[in-house]
Amino acid sequence: MKYLLLVHHDEEAFGKISETKRKEMLAESVQLTHQLHTNEQYVHASPLHPAATAVVVRVRDGKRLVTDGPFMETKEQLAGYFLINARDLNEATRIATQVPGARIGTVEVRPLIEITGLPNE
Amino acid sequence: MKYMLLIYGDENGLSETERKDCYAESTQLAQDIHASGQYLAANPLHPTSMATSVRVRDGKRLVTDGPFAETREQLGGYFLVEAKNRDEAIAIATRIPMARKGTVEVRPVIEIAGLPNDYRMSMEGAS
Repeated sequence: MKYLLLVHHDEEAFGKISETKRKEMLAESVQLTHQLHTNEQYVHASPLHPAATAVVVRVRDGKRLVTDGPFMETKEQLAGYFLINARDLNEATRIATQVPGARIGTVEVRPLIEITGLPNE
Repeated sequence: MKYMLLIYGDENGLSETERKDCYAESTQLAQDIHASGQYLAANPLHPTSMATSVRVRDGKRLVTDGPFAETREQLGGYFLVEAKNRDEAIAIATRIPMARKGTVEVRPVIEIAGLPNDYRMSMEGAS
């Protein structure tokens, strides 16, 4: 089964962590992707630019409404994700605990609905 | 550039027929943007009742049921796309069926070096 791990953290607090420490966390995340890749559990992963770069898009009565900022104004913001293969929720949760962001923020584990007809299948 | 399009909507806002139509239209959109070289990945998610949130503090794992945040609209799926710029990403976002009922958040992805094969390469490798 595929699971999406959504990594949330407080951007302001993250900005106060030293540059060296942040680089270490990124290196640890990259290391985790390779470990997952070796175990055939890796699909894709990436950090996201800060929530300030987000725009939200709605279409109502055929008109597009585009506003700056993220969908949710929360203390912690979505900072990146890991898309993984895991046998079950326990395995996905175990991988989530290895994500460095779990130590400073929250990792939400969401199972994917497998649908047919998408490209590349 | 890569963009993550995060699709939010009221989980109980669609009838079974509407949900099927939404999947069909979304799958067609995925095929269309695949043909134009903009598709990387897309998928719906199971409802937030199946979400689990994980934190690690002082070396101890704290696992709780439920999503990260309780909101009126919930994350229900995503498209990962390749777009020339933000306007092109927004143009794709407006074609997602749930943009008409809910909200699509467009977030640029930070491209970092050193990750395993990119998505398309790994998909091709797997097939």
